[in-house]
Formats: sequence, structure tokens, C-alpha cells
Amino acid sequence: MDTKEVKNTRKFKDYEFFRSPDSQYFLLPFRFHRINAQKEVLVNEVGDFLIVPAGTASRIVNREISEKEEIYHDLHANFFISTEAVPPLIDVLATRYRTKKSFLDEFTALHIFVVTLRCNHSCHYCQVSRVSENKKDFDISLENLMAGIHHMFRSPAKSITMEFQGGEPLLAFDEVKFAVETATELNKVYKKQITFVICTNSTIFTDEILDFCKQYDILISTSLDGPEFLHNANRPKTGIPSYELVIAGINKARSVLGHEKVSALMTTTSMSLDFPTEIIDAYIENGFSNIFLRPISPYGFALKNPKKNKYETDRYLDFYRKGLNYILELNNKGHFFVEDYTTILLRKILTPFPVNYVDLQSPAGLINSVIVYNYDGFVYATDESRMIAENLDFTFRLGHVKDDYKNIFYGEKAKFLSQYWSNECLAGCADCGFQNYCGADPVFHYSAQGDFEGHRPTSDFCKKNMEIISNLFELIDQNGSEFLPIFYSWINNKPRF
Amino acid sequence: MNISFDDSVIKIDVDKEIYSLTVLHKCFYWYTGKYSLDICALDSTYLITISDVTTAEEKDALIQKIRKDLIDFKTREIISIETKNIRDLLIAKAFAHEDTFEEDPPPGISDPLGFDPTSIK
Amino acid sequence: MIQLKAKGIAQNITYSIVAEVVSLPGKDEVHCYAPDINDKIIIASELFESPHFIGIMGITNINHLEVGDIVLIHPNGMVYTLFRKNSSHNSLFITDRCNSNCLMCSQPPKNVDDLDYYYHINSRLIDMIPPTTRELGITGGEPTLLGQRFIELLSHITRKLPNTEVHVLTNGRSFAWKNIPKAIFDVNNPRIVFGIPLYSDYHLLHDYIVQAKNAYFQTLLGFHNMARYGLRLELRIVLHRQTYKRLSMLAKFIFKNLPFVEHVAFMGLEYTGYTPKNGELLWIEPDEYSNELEESVLFLDSMGMNVSIYNLQLCILRPSLWKFARKSISDWKRDYLSQCQQCLLLNECGGVFATSKKHSEHIKAITS
Repeated sequence: MDTKEVKNTRKFKDYEFFRSPDSQYFLLPFRFHRINAQKEVLVNEVGDFLIVPAGTASRIVNREISEKEEIYHDLHANFFISTEAVPPLIDVLATRYRTKKSFLDEFTALHIFVVTLRCNHSCHYCQVSRVSENKKDFDISLENLMAGIHHMFRSPAKSITMEFQGGEPLLAFDEVKFAVETATELNKVYKKQITFVICTNSTIFTDEILDFCKQYDILISTSLDGPEFLHNANRPKTGIPSYELVIAGINKARSVLGHEKVSALMTTTSMSLDFPTEIIDAYIENGFSNIFLRPISPYGFALKNPKKNKYETDRYLDFYRKGLNYILELNNKGHFFVEDYTTILLRKILTPFPVNYVDLQSPAGLINSVIVYNYDGFVYATDESRMIAENLDFTFRLGHVKDDYKNIFYGEKAKFLSQYWSNECLAGCADCGFQNYCGADPVFHYSAQGDFEGHRPTSDFCKKNMEIISNLFELIDQNGSEFLPIFYSWINNKPRF
Repeated sequence: MNISFDDSVIKIDVDKEIYSLTVLHKCFYWYTGKYSLDICALDSTYLITISDVTTAEEKDALIQKIRKDLIDFKTREIISIETKNIRDLLIAKAFAHEDTFEEDPPPGISDPLGFDPTSIK
Repeated sequence: MIQLKAKGIAQNITYSIVAEVVSLPGKDEVHCYAPDINDKIIIASELFESPHFIGIMGITNINHLEVGDIVLIHPNGMVYTLFRKNSSHNSLFITDRCNSNCLMCSQPPKNVDDLDYYYHINSRLIDMIPPTTRELGITGGEPTLLGQRFIELLSHITRKLPNTEVHVLTNGRSFAWKNIPKAIFDVNNPRIVFGIPLYSDYHLLHDYIVQAKNAYFQTLLGFHNMARYGLRLELRIVLHRQTYKRLSMLAKFIFKNLPFVEHVAFMGLEYTGYTPKNGELLWIEPDEYSNELEESVLFLDSMGMNVSIYNLQLCILRPSLWKFARKSISDWKRDYLSQCQQCLLLNECGGVFATSKKHSEHIKAITS
């Protein structure tokens, strides 16, 4: 062979050769939280976690961990410590951080159009004023609708969701039609990916409505509170009781649009809290493979019915735990059924990807991810904000659809709220071990506590999330081999069997 | 640390050298949901007063929790101080628009025949 | 094992010729054609007396050569098969040189400056490979040590073989220098995949296994730089005593830090090259790591990543992993053991390495 050979120096070096003599390590940013008496969770700046014996954070900081221990290897591999002041992989870590926050690139992606306040139900917890079916004053004008649609297209988001709410939006079907057709037409220029959603109680579907939904590939989001007795007790209406009509409506919609195009949301009331497994069974009976075990928010009519809807966080947490355990049992038996809120948290805990759930993000969802164009033409920061407005509190009203885009989305109100919308900068949250998984909600805290920043020790938002997240880590720690495969199947929406 | 309990009030004296005011505020912030608190500075210590502690069991549990929390928040302070620069750097890099902010790779391509990776265009 | 080289006596061969086998007039004679030579070149078993004979004579066995194969005919009488028409396992060999020195290297590197030599062979070879070729590998040693000409080689392939899937085996360390991924991006060939090994999530362990300091950091930065340019990446892990303990942690690490990788391959050990020398450090019966392997593979699969198992036999894999096992061993070094002849899954199984000096003791026929 026509080559030149250089003296061979390929003697194998043993492991010791690769260790540096000085095993002092540097800290990388991380937070921690005790989940029980024995264990704590360490969480790094990009949300990677390690479940370790209580007191480990202290040991790490006191430089008591030796390179020979396996925990040292775990800490280094997971970006908790570094052998150099500036870690060689800092650019990789920066990319991961950017990825986690990349939902910000889309800016406002969810555009809610409240097309009417008219409704044919009188749900006890309704967070908007109930207005009987006949008052047309509470429908959005086409002019305001058009202005809202133009604002929607001004968003830099490449994928947007146009969501119709009410009242009962299908009572203003003409307006919905107009909005969908106009948006579709305009989108020929903007070329965004648009998802249409109608939040309806499913009791007034006509063939015309469903054909239209099929034509424009509109998703249906409906309300199902649980079994018949519970659903009807929560959601009274005149004439035929709700449940029967809702189930018929759901099935009708499924037959025209396809099974997966119809999803259901429940609202939890004081009564619901006693029936976690019954509610889940009702969902399964009606062909749903997922549920969102939500707490009730302290907005709107809820405050006018304190006895019916007094929110008790402890009772809710008990309800959630029972519901989750029941669902996990079902999954263990081979039945694929997902709890949505848990899945959102699991995506944040177990994946490197950004999670776009407006009620649990930092910076918060208001304006950054969601905007509401109300029936009266005014623009609000979140869905809850327009509900507060029904009590004549316009704190979160950002302007009118006829205002300049910049004044609405980047105006004085937005700037003011930006002080309170990152949990990295809030009292209590700034040091919290679960900061990466949780979020900021100034609208909630203003409503519940009268304070945009919120008082963490007495915040139901904090208590709920801290308990749920802590509980998830305990499940992962105590029974990871059993529960993690279930959790992965939820995250990827991929049944295991 | 000196801890005393008298008539539903816990008093804790902590050494100023060990626990900064920041650590104390962050730590005892979490107790303001249930209790009334006061922090004042003495010569070489800070005195924390916790009121509305009703039973003896509650007092014992609370003191145990306080000991753990003080260590935890002190640990957090150390982490915060030691990692402040790296954290700022990380976030600056994450949101930088160009890659002018990027580090060089660690040296040592370890080729005995002297390959130079920067030679490729 | 399939023969890839043969030796005879050269006549009228003054430099290394890259030639294509164009006919097999008899079982002991092969006729070849090279673009730079006017006459046909003969490879034969017999000895020829004519002074006009151009080629290699007196080769005992030339049955391995087929029409369409491309060979290197050397003045020293060697005939090397560079390309086999009827094989999907063809590769361009770039160099014997490597800047790593993995404990388990199956083709131990040499500190030689052979870049020119192979580059000239490969340049001619690329011009002669049929454009209908579906797959082509690029191996070494470490191919990126070719430097600027590595880019030129890729460009040449892009021009001449635009429909061929190219699979480059590299340690990926050079990609830590951004100019290289950028140059590869500029070649603009979406059919190139880079297979890069990562042996641990812990830096010292990876560095130890590849015997190079900072290799871990360089490789990871390399992955990220390549991903930034949208280049296609595959991650390879060799399973042995040093890698199995942290295998599950590595799987999680890959998902969190390298989710853009289009394929992850878990590879059984080839017991050849350096491996026997480091046998005590490396050898482990595959059933000892069956828990770790199952957990790692199923985890990555459940998170939507594309996973394969290479070089492990179906009888020593848990049935849950059979769907990930591929027939990965190159045909020219694939073999089956005597006990395999009764196995019901013989045709589905990828067999063992013919080159391995040691096999698992648990290989046995599956009879039900």
C-alpha cells in the first residue's frame, strides 16, 4: 500500500487517566422540593429532575459528593454540576432552555370569539352572565367580528386556533358561519394553519350546522359533567333535561364529523367532588378515552352561588387523587384512558418540549398565548377576564377590537401585567422546585386574592399544583416501573396494547 | 439557634453570620398563611416571632419544619449566589439572535497526524 | 464469510486500477474494464505466457467475483473487491486513521497517512458505481479526517449518485467545529445520514470507552451543530460491560437532549479487532443486560423514536424486542452456527458475526 506509517502510540489508558486530579465541581442552576420525609426532587434550569434522598441538595452544595458515587454521574449527566466554571455543553443547555420557552415564538395562538351570551342552559357555575335565549343584544356584530378576525391574522403564530364560545355559540350560528368563512378566505393570503373549535353544549345541532362543521373540519368541544343525575343537577335547563340531549348531540356530531372530532370537558362542582369514579365511568360509557379533572375557578356566577360552588381545595385534591388512581388502575388492566391535566404536567416533567397550555405557563398565557374578542367588541386578556367583566370589573380589558393591534397587545395594560406574568419573578415561585412545571396566573390571583402577584401560602392555585406535582413525583418514585409506561403512553397518545 | 415557646408564641434567635435576611424572608414567607410573624434585628442575631401556635404538638412539628426549612433556604441562597453568572449567561445565550455568543468546542481533536477541523470550508 | 480479496501474479499492471467486472467467460476467468485502460483486463486462475496479458493470473479462487462488481487491481498482484453489484452492503473506505481509539474497535486504526491513496480510488469508484445503487456506506477509520476532500467526496456522490442513500459512520467529533456541518449543509444532499456513537450519558465513561479526552463534549456539540443545519443523524450504542449499566439513563438522556435523531441503534458486540484484547473489560453475556436493553428500547419506542437492535440473535433477545431486531450484519461477514440450522426463525434472524472469535453460550434453536 502506498502510505506512510507514523509510530503507533495507541496504548490503552485506564479510567483513572480520564478523571481530573481535582474533583471539585461547580454548581449549575437548580431548585429542589421535598416531596415527603425521605425524598426530595432536584430540578435543573430546563426541567430535568432527579429524585434523591432528602438532604442531597445540601450535600451537593457542601461539596460532599465524590466522583466515585453514582449520584455524581447522574448529577453531571443531567446538568446539575459541571467540572468547569462554564460547562462545555452550555450551548446545548441554552438550546434546551430556548426549546422550553419556544411557545413564545408563536405569540398569541388561541383566539377566542365570544359570539353571543345567549344560552339555553342555566348552569349554576356559569362564569358568564346567563341571558335567556331571546336577547339579540348579546350577539357580536359582524363589524366587530371582522375587526377581531383581522387582529387574529396579525398574530405571528404560524398555527392558530379560532375558538367560538358563548353563552351557547350555536345560537348565533350565522355569526359563526360568517367568521369561519371569512377566516378561511383571508387565510388564502396569510397561509396559516387554522384549527376551528366550537365550544357548545351539543343540544341544538342541526344537519345544517353539522354539515358546515364537516365542510370546514371544525372540532367540537362540549360539556359533560358526569353521569345523568350529576350533569342535570349542575346544568339545569328548561324543557328536556340536558344530559339526554347532550348525549344525543354528541353521537349525532360523531356520526357526521368522526369520533375523534368531538371532545368533552367537565366542570367540577361541590357535588361532583363526591363522585370521581362515577364521572369517569360516565365518560367511558359515552365513548370518551380522556377526561380533564378540572377544579372550578372562582369567577363569575360561582361567587353568586357560594353554597353550591364553594371551592374547597382539599376536597378537590382528594377527588383528583381518587380519580387519577382509578384511571391508573384502568390503564393497568389494559384500558387506555387519559387524564388530561396530569398529561400536561407529565409533558413538562418528562419531555424536553414546550407545552402550550395557557393556564399553566411562564410567561403566563394571557396575551402571550390567548386573547378574547368579546360579544360587545371589547378585547380581554383571557377567558376568565371577560367573565370578571360581567361583574363590572374591567381590569383585564385591553381595549376594543377597533383599537390598534399594538395598543391592545403591547399597550399599557399588557406592560403592567408583564410584571406579574413570569413565575421566575414571583414571591414563593422564584425558589420553588416546581417552577419549571407550573405557571403564573395574575388573573386568577387578582380574582381570588385581590392581588396580581398572589400570596403563595394562601393561594389555591399554588396549593393545587404543588400537591398534584408532588404526588406525581411520589408515584414515579415509588412505582415508576408500573406507572411510567402508562405516563409515556399518555404523553404520546399511543395506547400500549 | 435559640428556640423558645411561651403562650402560643415561638421565638427563634438565629445567627446573623449564618442566616441572611433574604434567607429568613424567603423561608418564613411560607408561614404567613397560617401564622403572624415578625422579624427584627438584634446585635448578632435576628429574632423571629411566630404567633398563633395553638398546641404543643403543633409547636413541635413546626419547630422541626423550621429547622429543615432554614437549611433548605440557606442551600437555595448558596446555589443562587454561585450560579447567578451561569444562569444569566444561559438565558442570554438562549435568547440571542445570532450565534456570536457561542463557545468554542473543547480542544483536543486527538489525531496523531494533526488533523485541523477548522481547515474545512 | 464472503471473500473480498485474492492474490495472484500481476502482469502489465503499473498502478492501482479500479475496474468493473464485465464478463465471466469461464469459471476460472474474469474480464474487467477500466475507463483509463484500452484493453480488457483479465483475472484468471491459470498462468498465461503471453507478454500482452494485462491483469492478474494464478489466483486460485475467483468464484466470488460477479458481473458488475468493481475491483481494485494492484501491481502487487492483489485483487480487492471494492463494490459488489448484488449486495446492499457496499461502502467507500476512507482511511485507516482515527482520532479515537475505542476499546472495542472492530477495525483498529493505524496512524497512517493513507488519505490520498484511498481518495483517488474512491474518486474513480464513484464514477463507476451504478446510479441505481440504493445504499452506499462511508467508513474508515474516521472519514472526516479527509478534511476538505471529505466535502468534495460528498459533493461528487451527490452529483453522480443522486438517488443513493448514503450512510456515513463517523465519531462525530469534528462536527463540534461549526464550519464542517455548514460545509456539509452546503452540499445539499438530503439522502446522507450520519451514524454517530454515544456510549454513555456520563462524560468520563464515554471518554474512557473511546479513549479520548473531551470526546463526549465534542460529540454532543457535534450532534447539535448538525441538527441545527437539519442534517440527518443516527445514534449508535455498542452493548458491552462498560455501557450496559447506565444504558437506561443513556436512553433518557438521548430523548431529552437529542430528540431530533432519526434512528437509535443498539448494537451487539463484534468480538474482533481490539475487543478480544480488552475482553475482560468488555465481554458480557447478552442475557445479563436484558433488563436494561428492554427498558431502554421500549422507552425510546414509546416516546416515538425510531429504534433498532443490531447484531443480536432472536434466541437471546426477549420476544418483546424481536420487532426491533434487524438483519444488520453485512452479508459478507454473516454466519449461522450449527445449532441454528434447526431454528424456526433462521430466516428472520440476522445471524452472528463470522469475524467474532467468541459467541454467546445461549445461542440455540427456537423450536416452538
